[in-house]
Amino acid sequence: MTTYTICVFTENTFGLLNKITVIFTRRRINIESLTVSETERQGVSRYTITIKHDKREEVEKLVRQIRKVVEVLAVFGYLDDEIVYNEIALFKVATPIGGKPIDIETINKIYKAWVVYWGLDYVVIEKAGNESEILDFFRYIKSYGILEFVKSGRVAVGKTPAGLVEYLPEEVHWEYYV
Amino acid sequence: MTMVAAQDAAALEEVQTPAQTEAPRILSGAQALMESLIAEGTEVIFGYPGGAIMPTYDALFDYTDRLDHILVRHEQGAGHAAQGYARTSGKPGVCLVTSGPGGTNLVTPIADAIIDCTPLVCIIGQVKSTLLGTDAFQETDIIGVTTPVCKWNYQITNADEVPAIIAKAFYIAKSGKPGPVVIDFTRDAQVSLMSKSYEYKKVETLASYKPRVIPKDEHLERAAQLINNAKKPYILFGQGVLISGAQEELKAFAEKTDIPCASTLLGLSAMPIDHPNYVGWLGMHGNYGPNVLTTQADVVIAIGMRFDDRVTGDATTYIRQAKVIHIEIDPAEIDKIIKADAPVVGDAKETLKRLLPLVKTNNHATWRNEFKKYDLIEDQKITQRELNADGQIKMAEVVNMLSEKTKGEACVIADVGQHQMIAARYYKFKNPRSYIASGGLGTMGFAIPAAFGAKKGAPEREVVAFIGDGCFQMTIQELGTIAQSGLPVKLIILNNNYLGMVRQWQQLFFKKRYSFVELQNPDFVTIAKGFGIAGHTCSDRENLGESLDRLLQSDKPYLLEVIVEKEENVFPMVPAGAAVADIRLD
Repeated sequence: MTTYTICVFTENTFGLLNKITVIFTRRRINIESLTVSETERQGVSRYTITIKHDKREEVEKLVRQIRKVVEVLAVFGYLDDEIVYNEIALFKVATPIGGKPIDIETINKIYKAWVVYWGLDYVVIEKAGNESEILDFFRYIKSYGILEFVKSGRVAVGKTPAGLVEYLPEEVHWEYYV
Repeated sequence: MTMVAAQDAAALEEVQTPAQTEAPRILSGAQALMESLIAEGTEVIFGYPGGAIMPTYDALFDYTDRLDHILVRHEQGAGHAAQGYARTSGKPGVCLVTSGPGGTNLVTPIADAIIDCTPLVCIIGQVKSTLLGTDAFQETDIIGVTTPVCKWNYQITNADEVPAIIAKAFYIAKSGKPGPVVIDFTRDAQVSLMSKSYEYKKVETLASYKPRVIPKDEHLERAAQLINNAKKPYILFGQGVLISGAQEELKAFAEKTDIPCASTLLGLSAMPIDHPNYVGWLGMHGNYGPNVLTTQADVVIAIGMRFDDRVTGDATTYIRQAKVIHIEIDPAEIDKIIKADAPVVGDAKETLKRLLPLVKTNNHATWRNEFKKYDLIEDQKITQRELNADGQIKMAEVVNMLSEKTKGEACVIADVGQHQMIAARYYKFKNPRSYIASGGLGTMGFAIPAAFGAKKGAPEREVVAFIGDGCFQMTIQELGTIAQSGLPVKLIILNNNYLGMVRQWQQLFFKKRYSFVELQNPDFVTIAKGFGIAGHTCSDRENLGESLDRLLQSDKPYLLEVIVEKEENVFPMVPAGAAVADIRLD
C-alpha cells in the first residue's frame, strides 16, 4: 500500500466537506487523515487528505472525480517524495511527585519536541514531524506515562518553486493525469 | 455657468434617465424565483405543492400566464416528467416540490438524471431556516441526501440569493455533462423580501467549473493519425452526440471516413437506422454483429459514451486488441473503465467539426460488409422467428408494426425490462431524440411520467410509450396527470403477466426458480377508464393492426393493452459479466 496525499483547492463554501468525503466513501477508500484550512487566497480552502492505496490508477480516477465537484478549483495527487509535509502531535505526560524526571534536554535536542504547558502533575509536549518521527517520540515518551495523545492530519506543500495556489483557477489540473 | 450649476444640470439629467426613474423591484424570494425561471426560458414546471413550498406556489398563481404547471400525482412523477421534457426539448426540466417526503420522493429521478446526463433544476421546499436541524415537521436534510446523486446542490436561506443561485443552477445543469441540480429553498427565504431591487444576470462562466468544449489540437491530431492508419476502425457513439446536437457532424464524419457506427442504448436515434454506416446497437441485448465485431476492430472511436458495463460486458477483456480514441466532455470518464490511447476532451459536435478536416476520405466497405454477415444470422435466428410467430403475440411484432405505421418518426418512450430492449431493437428510428428510456439507473415506472413530459417538450411529435405490466403499476397514478392535462400521449402495455426480465434471468441463470415474478394484474383498461382515459385490450394477432390504428388515430390520451407471449426471452444476450464475444442467440 502506498500513501498518497491529495490536495484539494475549493471555494470556501458551506457543506463542501460532505461533497468531498462522499466521493471517498462511495469508492470504499478510507481517509487516513484530513486537514482543512483557508489558503493565502481569500475564499479558497485547501484540503489535505491522505489515503493508502495499492493502485495508482485508482487514485488518479479518484482525483478526477473530486475535480468534478463544482466548487473544486483544483486537485493534486502526490507521493510522499513530491511534497514537504508534517503533522503535529500533543502528548500529555504524567509528572507525579517522585516519578521519573523528564529529560528535557533529550526531548528538545534529540526529538525536537517542546514542552508547551506545565500542569501540576503533568506536562504537554508538542512534537511536529512526519509519522515515523512522531512514532519514535511516542515510543520514547511512553515509559513516562502518556495520559493523552492526539495527532493532527497531515499538512503538505508541493516541492514546486511556486505555490500551487498560484495556478488557480487555470485549467491545467486534469492534464497531470491523462 | 458655475461649476455648481453644471453639476446640478448633470445631476438633473441623470435623474431623468429611464434607469433612474424605474421603480425598484423589491420581490419576495418566491417571486424572484418565478422571474428567474422565466428569465431562463422555463415554459413548464412539473410539481406537487405542500407546506414548505406553499409560498412559492402562491407566487406561481400570479405567473400562470407565463409558466405552465403540471400537477403530478407523486413527486417521482414530476422528476421523470421533467426528464422526458428535457430529453425531447434539450432544455432543463424544472421540478417544484415540498420538503421532507416531497424531496425524498424526487431522489429516484435525480439519481436517474445524473447517470443519464439529463439536465434538471429541482426546487425543493425546506422548513424555516430557524428550524433547520431540529427534526421539524417534514424536515429532511435534502442537501445531505442528494449530494451523492446530483451535479450540484445549494440551500437558499435568504431571498437576496435567489437570482444568482438560479442562474448558477441553470448554467451547471445544462453545461458540460448535463445533470440534475437541487435547490433547497427555505420557507423564510421564499416569504421574505429582497433587500435590493431584483436583477437577473445569466451565468456563463464559473471560476471553479469550466467544462472544456473545444478540444486541444494536439489531441485531435493524435486521434486523426490513428483513424487515418486504421484498417478496421469502428465508431461507438452514445447520448453525448444527441446532447451536443452532433448528429450531422457524426454522419459527415462517418461518411468521409467510411467507418461503421454502432449506438449505445441512449445513443439510439442519433443516426438514422437506414444510414449505410449504421450497423446497429451495442450492449447486453444489442445486435449480434456490433457486439461480436468489437473484438476485431483495430481502432475504436468512442464518442459521447462512457463504456457502461452493459456495453462492455467483462471490461477486462473488452476491445483489448484496439487502440481507443475516447471523445468525451467529462475528463473523469477518460480511463474510468477503458484505458484510452488518445483521449480527446471536448464537446462531441465541436470535436467532430474539428476532426473532420484532419481525417482522410477512406473506403472501408469490406470491413463494413462483415457486419452484414452477422445481421443475416441474427435475422434468421431471431428476427424472423419473432416477427413471424404463431400463438400469442410477441412484443417484437407490436413494436415492429408501430414502427411501420409511424414510419419511424414517433418519439418512443420505454420503461424498464424486456419491452425496453424490444423497443430499442425493433423501432426504426428516423429522427434524433426519439428513444427515451432510463438507461443507467434502470428505473421501473419511468415511462408514464416521462411520456407526458416528452409530449410537453415536443408537442408536435407522436409520443408512444411501451410499458411492461410491472412497470405500469409503479407509477400508475400518473394516468391522472395525463387525463387532467389532456395531452394525447399513447400508452402501450405489453402485458406478459410477469416481471419479464427477472423471469428471463431466473430461467437462464437460476434454474427456472421463478421467485416472486408472476403478477396478479388489475384490469388496466378499466383503470384507465376510471381516470378518464380511453383504451382497449388486444390479444389476437388479427386485431393488432387495427388496435394500433385506433391508438394512433386518437387525438386524446389512449391506452392499448396487448397480451403478449408469457415466457418470451430477449435475445441476443451477453450474460452479465461475460465477454461481448460470448453473446448468445438463444
